[in-house]
Amino acid sequence: MKVKITKHLKKIIFLFFLLIPNSLNANFFEDITSQITDNPKRLSYGVSVTDVNQDGNFDFIVTGFGYVNLALSYDKGKLINIINQKKFSDEFRRTIGVAACDIDKDGYEEIYFLNTDTYSGTKKYSDRLIDFEKDKYIDLFEIEKNQRDLNLTAGRSVVCVDRKGDGNYGVYVANYGGPTRFYEYTNDVIVDKSIELNLAKITGGRAVVAGHIITDKIDVFAANERGANFLYKNDDGKFLDVANEYRVQDILQNGRGTALTDIYYRGRLDILNGNWGGFHRAYVFKNDIFEDIAKPPFDEPSRIRTVISADLDNDGYDEVFMNNIGEPNKLFKILDNGLIEQIPLDVGLEPNGYGTGAAVADIDNDGVLELLVSHGESFDQPLSLYKAKIGSDRKYLRVKPLNRYGAPARGATVTLISNLRKHSKTIDAGSGYLCQMEPVAHYGIREKEKNIKIQIKWTNGKIEELSIKDLNQTVTIKQK
Amino acid sequence: MNYFKNTFKFVAIFILTLSFSNISISSEKNYYKDLITDWARIFPDQNRNAAGPKFFKYIIDKEITYKDFVEYNKLYCAVSGSLIDPNSEPDFLFAKEMVTNKKICGNYYKCCVPCSCDIMKYSKVQKMKYQFKDGEKEFFVFTIKNPCNKKDFPNRVNKDYFCDGKKINNKQVYKINDRIVIGLFHNGKRCEKGEIDKVKSHYITGEYCELRNNTPLENLEAGMGDIFIKLAK
Repeated sequence: MKVKITKHLKKIIFLFFLLIPNSLNANFFEDITSQITDNPKRLSYGVSVTDVNQDGNFDFIVTGFGYVNLALSYDKGKLINIINQKKFSDEFRRTIGVAACDIDKDGYEEIYFLNTDTYSGTKKYSDRLIDFEKDKYIDLFEIEKNQRDLNLTAGRSVVCVDRKGDGNYGVYVANYGGPTRFYEYTNDVIVDKSIELNLAKITGGRAVVAGHIITDKIDVFAANERGANFLYKNDDGKFLDVANEYRVQDILQNGRGTALTDIYYRGRLDILNGNWGGFHRAYVFKNDIFEDIAKPPFDEPSRIRTVISADLDNDGYDEVFMNNIGEPNKLFKILDNGLIEQIPLDVGLEPNGYGTGAAVADIDNDGVLELLVSHGESFDQPLSLYKAKIGSDRKYLRVKPLNRYGAPARGATVTLISNLRKHSKTIDAGSGYLCQMEPVAHYGIREKEKNIKIQIKWTNGKIEELSIKDLNQTVTIKQK
Repeated sequence: MNYFKNTFKFVAIFILTLSFSNISISSEKNYYKDLITDWARIFPDQNRNAAGPKFFKYIIDKEITYKDFVEYNKLYCAVSGSLIDPNSEPDFLFAKEMVTNKKICGNYYKCCVPCSCDIMKYSKVQKMKYQFKDGEKEFFVFTIKNPCNKKDFPNRVNKDYFCDGKKINNKQVYKINDRIVIGLFHNGKRCEKGEIDKVKSHYITGEYCELRNNTPLENLEAGMGDIFIKLAK
């Protein structure tokens, strides 16, 4: 009898250990929302990460739809809104998309706020392009010389594009029911160059990303609704839509959250593309086309909004956070050989959350990414802030490339090369959906990983390499 | 005995481990996803009007089993060229066999009600044999006559999909005896006693179709089938 009980006990213990990793995983995140000081219910949309007040630290920008735009800065364990100036806060416009980049080549990023007061077609209020001058936030679109080509079409996402690779950033505006816009400084005036650059197509613009997708210059992928996606190949600074040739048109699906990530850890960027109520795609570049390798549960249709790919737990493998609106969020880990494993969520699941945007940044400079999730659209809800629960033994490396003007080199590609992987990350120019991540390539370090070096492909396609001796640091590299 | 016990234990542990794993290793086909993914390649000009034959050709050209072939063919409407939601229910109907003019009964997956009527009236059924990955199979297909000589070829249909001059374009569509195959007639067989009455007494394939199929073409206002009728009549 005793022998029998011992036998069963052994089985029970065995089963317990079999099950325990999954139940532990359910607590992947720690909820640190309480760090946000003054976090009322509101209608929020896009989130971006930039140095808003030029103090050398990144801040979260959170747009408000009839609510103030926030600039959440980290100070002594708290996230505090630091801007209450009218042009920035802009309570009475409805801001949804946001992206930051240095369009005037002064080394600091301007902020493009995309306002939308109608679902599609002509809107009342134009967008804002915020610059910080002498402690004041001004709207460059309010300056008379810049008012010729204001965007008066409803839009969604914005992305920064250094199309010539010379540090002269333009902003691609994904409009809905009107032509795409591309704003750039020309002779000290902000003009729309979309027609000249072959970008002025009319569609249901949703998400847009830019980076080294198919060429050594900055290409653009736009996920659209009620129409084919665009894949714009950079053709000497102009663009050519090659979505059909590369098989990413996906005409019957309605694009949402999109991110560039290196699915095979092989040193090139692939495309993750969420589709509203449709099949989510994991487009991997193979034999001159993009092949969708997504399988259930990753590809299962959901009310998807933002898609983020980042190493949240510093284990050297990227997670994919899929923020859904009105249904639970999902989290996956990209393992070797393109396997995408679902991580059960408890904290961060937000079954009743109306997620509208999200972004990651190491806002408290401790080497672990924070994930800020915004909510709104149908219900006013507060923001949430999460962080992966990880042991102190995990190591990281952060790479922050700056262009020749000293601004974040958004669109550049950083590749970590080691004995275990060749892992590319984009310096985010705009992604997720309405959002933009911090302009840093954040790597967790794998077990037994050694001989680490870093390669940077700048926006002009030139490559620079450096060896890494010390981990747990942010390496800042300036383009020569 | 011990060997079997150990094997059993191993298999049990393996199955248990798999059941708790969240890694996506499912190899089960998602037929609907395949058609959605490849839609732009099936219809490069994005015009799928009456283009069921394009789906049929795309599917039969794949290197697949008969089961795959049947499943794919449940997901588009042979009349309109529209995709059909997975798990949709077919209509039980009959159509006349080309050679014998006898009634063949079977299941037809339609996008909307008028298409069932149109396929009954304007298509014929033919037997077809094909070598699949898992062997040769015989089945019934719906066909329409060669439309390429028509002076009034419907302008909302991409003629290049169907025709190479006055001939059927067999690079784009599948043909049998100079007729275009527009789709699979699922579970097709000679109608048995009572089945014709069943079709005729059904509120769609009976009453509604009688009304539709006796309405002059110029008065038809329902469904993409109107374009198909112009193509097939």
